[in-house]
Amino acid sequence: MTGPAGVLRVNAASIDLATVPADERLLDTVRWRLGLKGTKEGCRTGDCGACSVLVDDRTVLSCLTLTHELEGARVTTIEGAPMDPELERARAAFQRAGALQCGYCTPGFVVALAGLLKERGTAATPEELLDGLQGNLCRCTGYAAIARAVAGLSEAPP
Amino acid sequence: MAHFELVAPRTAEEAVAELRAASGTSVGVLAGGSDLLIDIDEGRVAPTRIVSLRRLPWRTLDWTGGALTIGSTLPLRTLEDDPDVRRRLPGLWQAIRAVGSVALRHRATLGGNLGRAAPSSDLIPILLALDAEVELIGAEGTRRLPVDRFVLASRRTALRPAELIRSIRIPEARPSAFLWQRVRPANDISQIAVAVARSPGARAWSVAVGGIPPRSVLLPRVAEALGHGSPTPAALDRAADLASREVAIVADRRASGEYRRHLIGTLLRRAVASAEAARS
Repeated sequence: MTGPAGVLRVNAASIDLATVPADERLLDTVRWRLGLKGTKEGCRTGDCGACSVLVDDRTVLSCLTLTHELEGARVTTIEGAPMDPELERARAAFQRAGALQCGYCTPGFVVALAGLLKERGTAATPEELLDGLQGNLCRCTGYAAIARAVAGLSEAPP
Repeated sequence: MAHFELVAPRTAEEAVAELRAASGTSVGVLAGGSDLLIDIDEGRVAPTRIVSLRRLPWRTLDWTGGALTIGSTLPLRTLEDDPDVRRRLPGLWQAIRAVGSVALRHRATLGGNLGRAAPSSDLIPILLALDAEVELIGAEGTRRLPVDRFVLASRRTALRPAELIRSIRIPEARPSAFLWQRVRPANDISQIAVAVARSPGARAWSVAVGGIPPRSVLLPRVAEALGHGSPTPAALDRAADLASREVAIVADRRASGEYRRHLIGTLLRRAVASAEAARS
């Protein structure tokens, strides 16, 4: 938390926390206050990972995070992919592998994979990355293609 | 209009004062939020004021003289990433990895898990087996309690009204293991969990079991049956048999009583083998 007090950054935008109710979840701030609909609401109980966003480069569940708790932090959503090397790398790997069916879980998977790449760097093995994605559910059960996306991360230049 | 007010004091004294000032009203304490916010959503609690611990300098991890002291608001993921935790307290590392998912562990805390004292906690059994104690801070200063005396029953602890968990202390590195059985590896609740640890000096075992109401428990008779040092096959048989009979097992929607009894013995054997492997 390095930013100014009373402010939260989301991608390129800044939010004045004085305008945000105390009980607002980051998920609702992102989707309804900022209109960034890439972040999905799945279970709202922390079980599915569809609402994953990056907070200071670490994956968190936006449904279980009060927006005020992130004062001074930097949030990156799936819409921030063009400006974020790891998000873009994860997104491109999903695209190459065609790793989606209905697509609802995909932003959460891409964000969670990008978060693992940021945490673990280039040393991360596909097994470690898949293990780290266990908190993300795909209701279409398209996991084989998702595993191919992870395995194929190294196919394209980072 | 928000359902609650949120305050974020900067010092422990201010935090305790906030809790005292709010006594009588419904006050919630917020660490990572992964339990509190679900409890609010599901109507189990309805605080009108929430005291956030986010500004307190309690996200600490300290190894001193062989003991590990963990600040109560340290995210579990940070604890998991400490190479010494993995190497010197393998059972604690395994237990942390059993909690939720990576994203959940970036916010969830050890203090929050202990304070909620769920019977399904995956962290309480290993803290029991490691003889951990909690440091509590309140208006009268600080006090320490063994985890075994802190956790009273399902969602009940020895925490007084205006008191907070400051830190958790594990007295020494121990060969240890934590094993669970559940339907899904992540974001699921263990049907049964078994924690074991061996004290390097006395070479005596501790055994705890979790996943059953009203709370995780130590099984001293099972630990005794394991003997000292590496258990003989006969001692392991005796301990596994005893473990499946020692605990009051209930059936619920997650598993039958018979399955749970079977699991306790099996997980105990595997946990002892895992702790032995960690030692060498």
